[in-house]
Amino acid sequence: MNLALKTKSDNPLTENAKRGIFKTGGLRMNARPTEEQKPIQHMRRNPPIAGEAEAIAKAQAGDGHSFEILYSLHKRRVYSLCLRMLGNVAEAEDLTQEAFLQLYRKIGTFRGDSAFSTWLHRLAVNVVLMHLRKKGLPQVSLEETLEPSQDDGPRKDIGERDLVLSGSIDRVALERAVENLPPGYRLVFVLHDVEGYEHNEIADMLSCSIGNSKSQLHKARMKLRDLLRSGQRKEESIA
Amino acid sequence: MSSARNLQDGTSMNCAEFQEKLPELFESGANVSQEEHVQGCETCSALVRDLEYIAAQAKLLLPIHDPSPVVWDNIQSAIRSDHGADSKTAVHSGKRT
Ligand SMILES: [Zn+2]
Repeated sequence: MNLALKTKSDNPLTENAKRGIFKTGGLRMNARPTEEQKPIQHMRRNPPIAGEAEAIAKAQAGDGHSFEILYSLHKRRVYSLCLRMLGNVAEAEDLTQEAFLQLYRKIGTFRGDSAFSTWLHRLAVNVVLMHLRKKGLPQVSLEETLEPSQDDGPRKDIGERDLVLSGSIDRVALERAVENLPPGYRLVFVLHDVEGYEHNEIADMLSCSIGNSKSQLHKARMKLRDLLRSGQRKEESIA
Repeated sequence: MSSARNLQDGTSMNCAEFQEKLPELFESGANVSQEEHVQGCETCSALVRDLEYIAAQAKLLLPIHDPSPVVWDNIQSAIRSDHGADSKTAVHSGKRT
């Protein structure tokens, strides 16, 4: 299966490659990240896992049991990523399956220049995006027209102290709110705020401008705030 | 769209102007809560606090979901059929140790 979502290969974003983030086309892995160029958040989220290196080497040599180990080590993270991007269990499971099948076919091309999990997650993101492309949605740029007005201009009701969120939401509430974001907002929010990708990477993945990625992110956070606040209001009225 | 709105006073930044600048401010890495307007405006300071809080909480969202066991079963059978009658024997199944 051809992974290329966007084939513009000679753009200045090879910066990404230096930092261990690889374009979809050939999953290039030639550049070695220097110390200061390592994507910090990715590193934080992808700490080395005991036994992983050995499992990778064996799986590359065709050992099925080692591939299964890699699956158990990474299934949760890959599946959660798919689920958050898609907001749908059945699709998320299908694409988790697809991502690991691609991993199986491509693992021989992994050379250890980036963290394995960084590489795998990027592969999974690409699988999800390709799926969304096929379905023809959600075009990030279209989202602007789908979401009218409410984020334009100052918000008159914002100052009510009892509705300030800070410190008061739990992760379950946030998860639920993320699920309820419009698809385009959700993609950018999950990629940036949850997964830690930079705007230039997201722009590249989604074939949109960096400015668009930034504005979608802002709108996503505004929308989340709305969702969380209205959730709180409901809870208060029940209590 | 909202550009010409609420520009009456012209001197200090008002809420509309500030909120329009907000996405860029956040992305610039500036300490947004130290912005002059935020210091003097409860509405916008609440907004900034909430948005920063949401972004911070998002980073803490862990992968908590597990795929159903069917996913692995499907992967295995797909790998097997990939190999077909291929000389390489397929992936070992199940947990053997
Ligand atoms: Zn204000």
